[in-house]
Amino acid sequence: MKKIDSSKKRFSLRRTRTVTLAVATSALVLAACGSTSSSQGTSSQGSSQPAGSATSGNITWWASPIAQVGIRANLISHFEKAYPKIHVTLESAPTNTDTNRSQLVTEISGGSTTPDVFMGDVIWPAQFGAHSLAVPLSKYLPSSYFAKFAPGLVSGASYKGQVYGSPLFEDQGFLYYRKDLLAKAHLPVPKTWQQLESESLTLEKDGYVKYGFVWEGDSYEGLTCDFMEYLTSAGGKVVNSGYTKAELDSPQAIKAVSFMRSLITSGASPQAVTTFQEPQAMAVFDAGNAAFLRNWDYAWANSQTPANSKVVGDVGVAPLPTFAGQSYPGYSNIGGWNLYINPHSKNIAADLTFIKWMSSTEAQMILGKTYSEIPTVESVRQELASSSSTPPPLKVAAETNLVPRPAGTPNYPQLSNAIYTNVNAALSGSMSVSAALKAAQSQAQTALSGGL
Amino acid sequence: MAAVTGVDSVVKVMDKRGHRDVHSLRQARIGWMFSTPALVFIGLVTIFPIGFSVALSLSNVNVTGNGFALQGFTFSNYSQLIHSSTWRYALVFTVFYTVVTVAVEVVLGTMIALVLERLTKARGMMMALLLLPWSIITVISAELWQYIYEGTYGVLQAIFQSIGLGAPVFLGSPTSAIISMMVADIWKTTPFVAVIVIAGLVMLPSDVYEAASCDGASNWTIFWKITLPLLRPTIAIAVLFRVLQAFGVFDLPFVLTGGGPGTATTSLAILSYKVMFQNIDYGPGAAVAVSATLLVILGCLLFLRVFKTQVGREEVQ
Repeated sequence: MKKIDSSKKRFSLRRTRTVTLAVATSALVLAACGSTSSSQGTSSQGSSQPAGSATSGNITWWASPIAQVGIRANLISHFEKAYPKIHVTLESAPTNTDTNRSQLVTEISGGSTTPDVFMGDVIWPAQFGAHSLAVPLSKYLPSSYFAKFAPGLVSGASYKGQVYGSPLFEDQGFLYYRKDLLAKAHLPVPKTWQQLESESLTLEKDGYVKYGFVWEGDSYEGLTCDFMEYLTSAGGKVVNSGYTKAELDSPQAIKAVSFMRSLITSGASPQAVTTFQEPQAMAVFDAGNAAFLRNWDYAWANSQTPANSKVVGDVGVAPLPTFAGQSYPGYSNIGGWNLYINPHSKNIAADLTFIKWMSSTEAQMILGKTYSEIPTVESVRQELASSSSTPPPLKVAAETNLVPRPAGTPNYPQLSNAIYTNVNAALSGSMSVSAALKAAQSQAQTALSGGL
Repeated sequence: MAAVTGVDSVVKVMDKRGHRDVHSLRQARIGWMFSTPALVFIGLVTIFPIGFSVALSLSNVNVTGNGFALQGFTFSNYSQLIHSSTWRYALVFTVFYTVVTVAVEVVLGTMIALVLERLTKARGMMMALLLLPWSIITVISAELWQYIYEGTYGVLQAIFQSIGLGAPVFLGSPTSAIISMMVADIWKTTPFVAVIVIAGLVMLPSDVYEAASCDGASNWTIFWKITLPLLRPTIAIAVLFRVLQAFGVFDLPFVLTGGGPGTATTSLAILSYKVMFQNIDYGPGAAVAVSATLLVILGCLLFLRVFKTQVGREEVQ
């Protein structure tokens, strides 16, 4: 008995030693990991300020597919023709903007040196700026560089006086409609939301089409965009100008959400819109199953591509309607994408060259002319507007009223989450409109103060 | 795993000879030597992240371009949770989801196992077919279910319509979305339970059954009085595995509903993901994750306690 005890002791001593060894080894490995990432951090911090005129190097560009396959590769090949010694590798990002951001945040906050340049949503500057996840471009580029963009875009890309994103292309909500169906039924293009609803019902009832109006009602960022359009034409706001007080339980917000819900209950929109994101809404419309579609600029090109669409040649584009009694047109939410630089990038000079080229007339013309994206550079916009071959959304864009999302706070994701989860609950009928907006209000208020 | 085997072999040697000789000591040393790389690896990929999560959840975390900065100890992340109706809902939903899916899976899985065990022909083929859902990666099977549930061209909606049940949008209302998600989960993981239970069934001693049939017990009595009690340790293990998995459910709601409609299918894991990676709030996000872990460990310990007598008795036999 005693013998076993003592051997056990010896054994446990040995074990302690072995475990210590194991711990020490892992600590060493950890320390090694730690030091690499911290040295990366300091090297990028300590670099001198490049002006953006580098002509050689390798950069990685992180971008989600822009409307059509091939557009990113096309831009890269034109860029590499202009700068043969800079090699750009494309890293394809997720199309869902939330997933896209999550991956980026994880990579960049983890110290990854790639991607060097990333295409990010227009609503990211505050969050990325506040957490230093993007390089303040205004530290490197002169104010003359930012003067060429269309009004509002640069201020939207700024946070606390620094510009974080270089606008690549703009986007906004449009109303797509079936010219052929409206002509057959002798209906005008709707100018008010109520008119849109009643025309939808008429077209469905008379058997012209399966569904009236399809849009984005899923519980995600896109619903916040759609909601902003109804809310603004109802005269409401999400927050006060200082981002201190949420204003979501207002009569205007109730009017907006009640109307959105009525689209579903009346049958003007299919019940499934509460699960639709852009691709689903677009697919229903392009299959010829809906008379009206609220979508972004890129929906035009898709609807005119015979491989995806049964409605080629039958689609019209108009600004979004407004509520009866308000002046037409209504409000289109601003979307679009900017180019940002990873603060850990090893080659900020080449990154800047790439970003500058992407806002050149050549690149902006490719985006606008070939792919019907709305250019961000004012002179290119004007040139395109005067051309007869310009795609319809770009022409309609000149008449629209724009409304941005309340993205001036680093807590915008929580704020938007408060909006879309509760509005979606109201749309699906699991909460009354007023209860949903009360919940949205209190969650938005918590969000503004940095809560969960 | 390797470490455990090393210790086991040492214990066995001791049992057999009653004392330790130089040979077994050397073996032990070699065992530990071989296990060290595995231990280091486990330490790196499991223990360090868990420890780091706990540290994050108890700190004021500031995210910068250069990584996390832990700025001081705080309980505020946890108090934020307790005051958040979103977290409370996610907790209730996750517990409810776990209880329902695991209960259904255990009953169904046991039934399937009982049938399979009696199959004389094509048992191997049936097993392979049965394992198909389990072997498909959840994200992919969730995408398939998404097609089935889709609200405008979904297969299930078409079936409902053709038999005159209207055109329900399965993922469009909270109750039906939760049920749809549970069905997808049960479809996928019932085979897992069935396989574990079959393993248990095969190991049951045949003499007890012979005795029972000699005594004239009916099949029904045999099932309730012999098979099920003897199977309890096996079922306990299946339940344990399933609870641990179901409590962390992420991929199904992520693909099917994104946590919606509203927040109806937001599990603790989805909430944790949203708070951490969308809001970039690592402190509260880690607190959600740690709270979920603590709760599931607590639940499993309680569960094991309830089943302990059974498991213990089985071991004596």
